[in-house]
Amino acid sequence: MRGHRDLEWVSVAAVACAVIAALVPLELIRLVAALPLTLFLPGYALVAAAFASRELAPPKRLTLSVGTSLMVLVLGAFVLNVFPFGLTTASWAVLLPMVVIAACRAAAIRRDRPARRRSRRSPLPRPQPGSIALVSIALLIGAGALALAQKPLPAEDAEGYAALWMLPADAEEETAVVGVINNEHDPASYRLKVRLGEDKRARTYRVELDPGEERTYEIGVARGASGRTHVVASLYREEQPTHLYRRVTSWLPRQKTFP
Amino acid sequence: MVAARLESLPVIALLAAFGLFLCSLTNALSRATLSAPVLIYWLGLLIIALPIFFRLSSTRPSYRERLGLILLLGLALYCVKLVHDSPLYTFPDEFVHAFNAENIERYDHLYHFNPAIPTTPYYPGLEGATSALMMLTGMSSYGAGILLVGAARLTFMAALFFLFARLSGSARGAGLGVAIYTGTSNFLFWGAQFSYESLSLPLMVVVLMSFVEREASPPAGRKAWAVPIVLGILAIAITHHLTSYALAAIFIALAVLYRVMKIEKPNPWPFALLATGVAVGWLLIAARSTVGYLFPVLEEAVEAIIKTASGESAPRTLFHQASTTAETVASTPLAARAVALLAVAVLGVLTLIGLRQVWRRERGKPLVLLFCAAAVVFFAALTLRFAPAAWETGNRAAGFLFIGLAFVGIYGAAEVLTGGPNLLRRRLLLTGALGVILVGGAISGWPWDIQLQRPMRATAEGREIESEPLALAEWAGDRLDGSRFAAPGSDSRALLEPGGQIALAGQGPDIEHIVDEPQLAPWQLPLLERHHLPFVVADRRLNSEDNLRGQYFTVPGQYGDDYREKGVVHKFSRIPVGRVWHSGRLVLFNLRDRP
Repeated sequence: MRGHRDLEWVSVAAVACAVIAALVPLELIRLVAALPLTLFLPGYALVAAAFASRELAPPKRLTLSVGTSLMVLVLGAFVLNVFPFGLTTASWAVLLPMVVIAACRAAAIRRDRPARRRSRRSPLPRPQPGSIALVSIALLIGAGALALAQKPLPAEDAEGYAALWMLPADAEEETAVVGVINNEHDPASYRLKVRLGEDKRARTYRVELDPGEERTYEIGVARGASGRTHVVASLYREEQPTHLYRRVTSWLPRQKTFP
Repeated sequence: MVAARLESLPVIALLAAFGLFLCSLTNALSRATLSAPVLIYWLGLLIIALPIFFRLSSTRPSYRERLGLILLLGLALYCVKLVHDSPLYTFPDEFVHAFNAENIERYDHLYHFNPAIPTTPYYPGLEGATSALMMLTGMSSYGAGILLVGAARLTFMAALFFLFARLSGSARGAGLGVAIYTGTSNFLFWGAQFSYESLSLPLMVVVLMSFVEREASPPAGRKAWAVPIVLGILAIAITHHLTSYALAAIFIALAVLYRVMKIEKPNPWPFALLATGVAVGWLLIAARSTVGYLFPVLEEAVEAIIKTASGESAPRTLFHQASTTAETVASTPLAARAVALLAVAVLGVLTLIGLRQVWRRERGKPLVLLFCAAAVVFFAALTLRFAPAAWETGNRAAGFLFIGLAFVGIYGAAEVLTGGPNLLRRRLLLTGALGVILVGGAISGWPWDIQLQRPMRATAEGREIESEPLALAEWAGDRLDGSRFAAPGSDSRALLEPGGQIALAGQGPDIEHIVDEPQLAPWQLPLLERHHLPFVVADRRLNSEDNLRGQYFTVPGQYGDDYREKGVVHKFSRIPVGRVWHSGRLVLFNLRDRP
């Protein structure tokens, strides 16, 4: 590859991007490295190998590079799946630079001679300050539009609700976890009553939750005479203490067979 | 001078950004359950597109500027889809493919079972490629998916431009052709979702572009273009069934036309053979379930056409909900219907004019003849929209056929621009026509009542609250590790992703009747046991089977507040079995939890 500066750069960039994407723990830096590694470099190298010294207009080369990179990703997944280790961060971080280096090597062999510095560069118009300002504002507005879309907003007319749930806490199923989630628009107060088997006395908990908040309670479940205890958790709104709002039930330990 | 500055790329980019912001703002208002002025949304769409269309109709822009304009158009319209549903996948197919991508990351291998569309894991191209980005960046399937589909979309726009420019010999025509293509009904939303066709269609256009470039190359240069063609054929075969069949059909037709027309260039039969071989080979070796997935749909479509044509069944009413969806939804307003129909009329006029010109000038090119045929078939396929079970087949075919229609439309547009003395007026006329095509396509491609986003997440007192299906799905993802559910359609999609559970819905097996009927029939519990489905979601909302509308908050008086009979919940309580989750409208039962 000596003398083919673009191929050297692409090979080095592929290895560097793979190392960064595989090893650096920061998502943003990994993204910056992974984008060229996945969406550009493999295609660029393959197009370079296919076209060798033949001229290809830069916009077409760029389009083909991205298109071919997408093809490499699709076929690469198929190839990696054949191996026992499959598709992992490490296998992608090895495969993609391998494809790039192999294709660059093939391109270097196929090219007539080391690429000379081009005497005739296609002239790109130098942007004027006004154009730069307009494009910058456009990018800011576009980013603002996307940011607005990411942001959840108050939706007053959407009907809020609370959810009550119950699951065994462990494999022995001697403890139940009861959870209350408030997805109302306002803070809410509830009374949670948990009744175990024949015991007439219910354990009562006062639950105050902000919107989006969840609270869980662990409740020990003693085995009943039949070996199975009926656990009933009932939720009442504080302002309507006699009106059942939510109810969940379980027979612990569970049968684990269908009715 | 001023006019020239107003038509400059930076000004057009600024307008596109402003248009996008208007689209985002109206979606935000809709998410906030405030009355969103839908006209502002359509205005935003036009502010994005019209300046670009107007500039493309000019003779002044360079080849590169035209390319820049269509890339800007593609990017801005893709962002319209993103502002519609960030930061979550919300389209029905997206949940399915995201589930596959997450499974690849979870298990390090392809082909894991997908209960919603069992065929999809056997066409793992999109998810396999997405997994590379997920693993190398640590992003979710959503982040990786939108980047990948975005890259594919920009590739599509550029490749289509090069394809049209090479075939028509005009960069101006190519830009207008791509502009026409944005008016296909699936372009704005359906074709931009995280789904396999969103990757395979761009790859197909790259293959076609490489093919026409190869044809235009000197003999020594042809081998180089074979590389993207062959790679593309292979990649498409494992990405999407319909696209691989369409590509094989195109190459077969080209091989026949080259022979019949005695074209003095190498016959593309090797590509036809390869495309057919890998498409059929993949179908038979890896993706046999596709036969059971695709063919009944096609069979139903044919039956529906025959029944509708013979008068045995009533034709489908345009712009109305499919009859299987139970909840009453707002129908498309008359003005919007008029725009959609006007768009078809404009396309018809452009096609009629274009076909005459193409026939006169380009009939010696086999691919051009194929495009002409596609343009004619497009209008024939429109009639499928009148047959109840065939409209979706017609709609899906449009994405492919429209490539031909857009190419023919170039010649129609050229006639408009060369037909009289006042060029500015004719440019304005064409710009308006392209605007009608774009908006008309968007109206006919997506239900009117959900053009704007509904709330799935919201804030309350500075914290985040979620809709019932989403809250259940996220709770299941945290608390139940890969359990098996029977659920209504929309709940099952959310349980797949972000829930990460195995959730069956629909009619094969017949989960739909189990969760929708108020009575417990004798066959229902044995069926659930046979399919190992201990968890059953009983959902009283009538729109719970609606994969497009069921994942959102209920907004009383607007949507989501029509209910099924109480029996859909009580029938399981009466068995009795454990109630695991209760959030009002949704109750989760565990059939393996009983006295």
